[in-house]
Amino acid sequence: MTDRGKWHERLKVTLWTLIVPPILWAGHFLFSYLWAAISCAKAGAFMTFPIVFVAGTLLALALIGLSGWIAWRQGGTPGSSAPHEDGTDIDRLRFIAKSTLLLAGLSFVGVLFTVLPVIFLRDCM
Amino acid sequence: MRRAWLCTPLLLATGGCNATQSTLDVFGAEAREIRHIAMILTVGAIVILAIVVALYVRAVRAPEGRLSHEAGMRMVLWVGAIGPAVILAALLVYALPAMRPRPTSPVDMVIRVEGEQFWWRVAYVPPGATPMLSANEVRVPVGRTVAFELTAQDVLHSFWIPGLAGKMDMIPGRTNRLVVRAEKAGRYRGVCAEFCGLSHALMAFDVIAMPADAFDAWLARDSVSIARSAGRGAALFDAQGCGGCHAIRGTSHVATIGPDLSHFGERLTVGAGILPPSVEATAAFIRAPQATKPGVRMPAYPQLSDADARMIATYLKGLR
Amino acid sequence: MSLHDQDDPAVRAAQEERLRKVWTPPKGLFLRWTDVNNNRVGVWYTLTAFCFMLFAGVLALIIRTQLAVPDNDLIGANTFNQLFTLHGSMMMFLFAVPMFEAVSIILLPQLLGARDLPFPRLSAFGYWSFLLGGVFVGGSIFFNAAPDGGWFMYPPLTTRTDLSGLGADIWMLGLSFIEVSSVAAAVELIVGVLKCRPPGMRLNLMPLYAWYILVVAVMILFAFPPLIAGDILFEMERLLNWPFFDATRGGDPLLWQHLFWIFGHPEVYIIFLPSIALFAMLVPTFSRRHLLGYPWIVLAAVGTAFLSFGLWVHHMFTTGLPKISLAFFSAASEAVAIPTGVQIFVFIATLWAGRVTWSTPLLYATGSLAIFVIGGLTGVMVAVAPFDWQAHDSYFIVAHLHYVLIGGTLMPLFAGLYYYWPLVTGKKLSDRLGRIAFWLLFIGANIAFFPMHLSGLMGMPRRVFTYPAELGLGGMNMASTIGAYLFAAGVAVICVDLCLSPHRAKSPRNPWDAGTLEWLAHPDDEDWGIRSVPLIESRYPIWDQKDFVAKVDEGRFFLADAEEGRRETIVTTVLDARPLAVIRLGEPSVKPMLTAIALGGVFILTTYHLYWAALACGVATLACALWWLWTGTAEIPEKPSKPIGHGIVLPLYIAGPAAPGWWAMFITMMADATAFSGLIFGYFFFWTRHAEFPPMAMADGPGIAWPMIALALGLASWLLTVSARQVHARGAVGLARVALMIGILASVAGIGAGLAGPWESGMDPQTHSYPAIVWTLVVWTTAHAGVAAIMQGYVLARSIAGRMDPQHDADLRNITVYMHFFALTVLVTYATIGLFPEVA
Repeated sequence: MTDRGKWHERLKVTLWTLIVPPILWAGHFLFSYLWAAISCAKAGAFMTFPIVFVAGTLLALALIGLSGWIAWRQGGTPGSSAPHEDGTDIDRLRFIAKSTLLLAGLSFVGVLFTVLPVIFLRDCM
Repeated sequence: MRRAWLCTPLLLATGGCNATQSTLDVFGAEAREIRHIAMILTVGAIVILAIVVALYVRAVRAPEGRLSHEAGMRMVLWVGAIGPAVILAALLVYALPAMRPRPTSPVDMVIRVEGEQFWWRVAYVPPGATPMLSANEVRVPVGRTVAFELTAQDVLHSFWIPGLAGKMDMIPGRTNRLVVRAEKAGRYRGVCAEFCGLSHALMAFDVIAMPADAFDAWLARDSVSIARSAGRGAALFDAQGCGGCHAIRGTSHVATIGPDLSHFGERLTVGAGILPPSVEATAAFIRAPQATKPGVRMPAYPQLSDADARMIATYLKGLR
Repeated sequence: MSLHDQDDPAVRAAQEERLRKVWTPPKGLFLRWTDVNNNRVGVWYTLTAFCFMLFAGVLALIIRTQLAVPDNDLIGANTFNQLFTLHGSMMMFLFAVPMFEAVSIILLPQLLGARDLPFPRLSAFGYWSFLLGGVFVGGSIFFNAAPDGGWFMYPPLTTRTDLSGLGADIWMLGLSFIEVSSVAAAVELIVGVLKCRPPGMRLNLMPLYAWYILVVAVMILFAFPPLIAGDILFEMERLLNWPFFDATRGGDPLLWQHLFWIFGHPEVYIIFLPSIALFAMLVPTFSRRHLLGYPWIVLAAVGTAFLSFGLWVHHMFTTGLPKISLAFFSAASEAVAIPTGVQIFVFIATLWAGRVTWSTPLLYATGSLAIFVIGGLTGVMVAVAPFDWQAHDSYFIVAHLHYVLIGGTLMPLFAGLYYYWPLVTGKKLSDRLGRIAFWLLFIGANIAFFPMHLSGLMGMPRRVFTYPAELGLGGMNMASTIGAYLFAAGVAVICVDLCLSPHRAKSPRNPWDAGTLEWLAHPDDEDWGIRSVPLIESRYPIWDQKDFVAKVDEGRFFLADAEEGRRETIVTTVLDARPLAVIRLGEPSVKPMLTAIALGGVFILTTYHLYWAALACGVATLACALWWLWTGTAEIPEKPSKPIGHGIVLPLYIAGPAAPGWWAMFITMMADATAFSGLIFGYFFFWTRHAEFPPMAMADGPGIAWPMIALALGLASWLLTVSARQVHARGAVGLARVALMIGILASVAGIGAGLAGPWESGMDPQTHSYPAIVWTLVVWTTAHAGVAAIMQGYVLARSIAGRMDPQHDADLRNITVYMHFFALTVLVTYATIGLFPEVA
C-alpha cells in the first residue's frame, strides 16, 4: 500500500507477523514457568501478590490484542465476498491477516489459561 | 454399594473385579476425590464423543450445499473453537484447586519409603519418636493424615497405592511428599509404577489400613524389647551370613542392605508382594531368588539343603 | 517463446527426449542405488519405514501374547523389556517420523509442481542414514542386545553401566544418527515449501499438505535438538563418567526427563499433523468442493505447533515438581485441544457443505477420526493433573496413546495409502480388500485398546511383563490380545492387497477426480516430475483452471525443456511465489551414500568403544562432506541466465537470503542453536538444583581471563568473516582472503583459549555436574570454532580455485550465516561459564 495510510496500515503482515501472537504466548508461558520454577527452587516460595506476573500478563495480552487488531484492520479491506481464495495480492493479504487474527485469538485464550494456575494455586506446594 | 455399582460393567466384561489394587475401589480420601473427577471427565467425554459422531454422520448424509460457507464458518467458530475453549476453561477452574495437597501439621505421622531394585524400605517416623524400620509393607491409620516421604537409592521408582491416592515418583537425590488420609480399614496392594529394571513387574507391597488405635498399638510394640528365640533356624541364619544384609531387631543383625526382617512373620506376602507367606515359598525364595524374581540383588543359596532352607524360613515366619 | 511455440508436436517430442535423457535414473546392480530423484528415494524411504512398522508390530504381538494370561512365562522379563523398548522406539523413530518424511519426499515436489526438492542428494543422504541406523537399532534384538530401558530411557537405570548394557548405547547412538537424518529431511522440506513453489502459488494458494509439512518440519527443527543435547549428556555420562544424572555427584535424573519430553511431546504432534494433512487433501476430493476454512487450518497447524512445546511437563506430573509448575502445563495441555477441535470441525463442515462420495480412503479417514476423537478426549482427561496421578504409567495411558497414534497416525496413513497408491504406482488398490482390512483394523483396535482404559484404572501398571491372577485383570488382557491379533490380521490383509497390486491393470489418470496439483501425475510415470512448471491461480488448479492438465502436458507453462542437459527447478519468493532463479539440482551420485556410511561408522563404532576407528570415520565423513560440497554446490553456471518461457529470463546463480542454500544453512543453524540452548538449559537447571552453584570447592570455575580471551577471539573470527564478505562483494578479493586467513587463526586460537579455562583451573568433569557441564559447553563451543575454521578454509580455497568470485559468492554468504550463530554461541557460552559464577 501507499505511504499515506495510517501506521498500522503501513505495517504489512507477512509470514513473520503470523507467528507474533503465538510467540508472545510462548514468551509469556516460558516466563511464567521459569518464574515459578526458579522462585520455588531458589527461594522456596513466590510473592503473594506477584506484580511482575500481573504486569507481564497484561503486556502479553495487550501485544496479542494489538497484533490481532492490526491483522483485523488489514484483513477487513473491502472487496468481493467470502471465500477469499484467489491468487491476488489482496486475498493473500486477507489470508495472512485472517490467520494472524485467529492465532491472536488462540494465543489470547492460551495466556488466560496460563493465568488460571496462579489464581488457584498461589504457592510452591 | 458404590463399588458394586462400579463393578457391574466390569464384571460383565471381564468376569472379575479387583478389590485390592484399583483406583475405582478406593479406601483413601485422595483416591475418592480423583475417582469423582474421573467420573465427571468420563461422562463429559462420552457426551462430547456422541455430539461429534452425530455431527459427522449428519455431515456425511447432508446433500450438497446444505451448509453455506458462512454457516460452516460459524460452526467451526462456535462448535470447534469457542465451545471447546469455554468447556476447557471451566474444566481447569474445576480441576486446578483439586491439585492442592491436604495440609499437614507437625504432629502428623511421617512414613519414609525408599524404592530399591525391587523392594521397598519403609520407616515409620512418629512425631518425636525414633523411626521404626520395616520393608515391603505399609500400614496406615484410618482417619489420620499421613505424609509419605519418598525417595530412591538406585534408580527411579514410583509409589502407587491406587486405592489410597495418586502415584508419586521416587527419584534419587530428591524427596517427594505425598499426603494421604485413609478412610476405610482393610488389606490393599501398592505397586511400583515407574519402570525400574528387570523385575519392575514384581515390585509390589501390601497396604494395611488399620483403625487408629490398633495402629498405635502395633507401632508401640517395638518399644518393649523383643525376645528372640534362638534355634536351629536362627543358627543357620547366622551361619549362612544372612545378617550381612538383613537386620532383625533383638538380635545382633543390624545390616541395612536388604529388607528389614524384624517382623517378617506378620507380613502378608513374601518377596515384595509376589509370593504367599508360606514356609515353602519363603524357603524356595531363599534358595533361588532369581527363579521368581529376575535381577534381584539377593544371592542364591543353592548349596543350602531344602530342609535347612525350611528351617530358616520357619525361623523367619516366627518373627512377629 | 509464447504459448503457441508448443503447438508443434515435433518440438514437444524433442523437449521430452531431452528431459527424459536428463532425468534417466542410473542403471546397474549398484549404480541404481546412487539415484537421488525424489520419486525413487521417497519410495525406498516409505518401504523401509513400512517394513520397520511391520517389524515393530510383530514385537507388539509377542508382547500381547505374553500378557494374554496372568502369570505367563512365555518369555522372560529380559526379553519382554527389550521388546517393549524396541516396539516404542521403532514405532516412533523408525516408523512415524521417517514415514512422514518419506511420504513428503514423494508428494511434495508433485504438490508444488517442482521437478524435485531443492537438495535431492540431502534426501538420499537422509535415507541411507535412516536405513543404516534403523537396521543397527532394530537388528540388536537378534543378538539379545536390544535397548531395554523403555523408549524414554530414563536414567539412572540406563546411565549406570552396572545396570544396563550395550543396548542403551545402541539406542542413544543409533537413534542420534537417525535424528540427524530427520533434521536433514526437515531442512529439505522447509526449503522446498518456502522456495520451490510454482510461480503464482502464493502462500494462500499452497496445498494444505504443504502448510502442514512446513509447520511440522519447523517443529522437528526445534524439538529434535533438545533430545540431541540430551543424548550428548547421556553418552558423556555412560562413556566418560561425567555425572549429569547421578544424584550422588550433583547430577539430577530429572534433567533428562525435561530434555527428553521437550522433544517427546512435540514429537506426538510431529507425527499427528502430517496425518491430518492427508485428511486435508482427501476430504475436499471426496466432498467435491474446496476445503472450507483454509485460514482455520493454518491457525490450527501453527497454533498446535506452538502449544505443543508447552506441554512437556505433563509427562512429569508425578515427579513431585511444585504444583504450580504442573498447573501451567495442565493449562497448556487443555489449550492444545482447541486447535485440534478446530481441525475436526473444519473437516465436518467441509463434508457437510459438499457432496460426499464414499470411498475406501474416506472410510479409513472416518474410522481414524472416530478413534482419534476418543484418544483426544482421554488426552483431555489425563491433562487434568489429579486424574493423571492415578492414570500415569498405567494401562490407561497405553490405551490413550494407542488411540491417539492409531487414530492420528497409522489409520490416516492407511487412508493416504489407498488414496495415493494410484499416484505412485498408477494402480488402484482393491476396495474390497481395503474394506475388509478396515473393519479388522477398526474392530481390532477397539477390542485391543478399549479394555486397557479399565485395566489401567483397575491398577495395572505399564511395562510389566506379567501380572498376578488375583488382580482380576486376566479377562481384559485376553480381550486386548485378541484385539491385537485382529488388528494384525487387518495389516496382513493390506499387505496382501499391496502384493497383488503389480498384477492389476493401470487405473485412469487422476482416478479420484481430485483438484490438486499432484494428480497431474501420469500412470505411466516419467522421471522428470512434471512436464512444465505451471502458473497457479487457484488452490485446486485441476478443477478451476481451464485446460490446465493439457497445458502442463504440452509444456505450455515454464521450464518445459532441458537445453543444457541439466536437472533444474524454479526458485520463487516466499510470500508470493514470484520466480527468482533456476537452480541446478544434484544428479545421481554415490557421495550421499558414502557420507552416510562414514557418519554411521562414527556412531556405530563409538557404541563398541572403538574410538580410534570412530575418529577415522569422522575424518572420512568430513572428507566426504567437503568433496560433496566442493563438487556439487554453488557451481558457477556457464551462462548467467536462461529463458523459462513466456519471455521470462531467470538467473542461473543465486546467493544470499533468496537462495535455497542460504535458507538451508539458516535452518540448520536454528536447529544447532536449539541444541545449544538445551545444554545451556542444563547449566541453569543445575544452578536451580543446588544452593551453591558453582559448588564452594570450585567457586572460581574456569576463571574469567581465559573465557574472555576465547570470547574475544571468537568474536574477532566472526567480525573478520563478516568484513571479508563485505569487501569481497566490493571486489577486494585479496583483502577478503587475508581477512579469512586471520579469521582461521582466530578460530583456531579460540579453541585453545576456550579449553584452557577449565583445563588450567583443573576442573575434573568426573567429580561433579558443575565441571561436567562447563566442560560440555566448552567442548561444544570449541568444536564449533573448529567447524568455523574449516568453513573459512573452504571458502578461501574456493576463492583461490576460482570457484567463487564477487558475483558468485554464495559460499561466503552461507558461512557468514554460520558465523552469526557461532558468535552467538561463543557469547552465551563464555559469558555463562566466565561471568555467571561472579553473579550467582
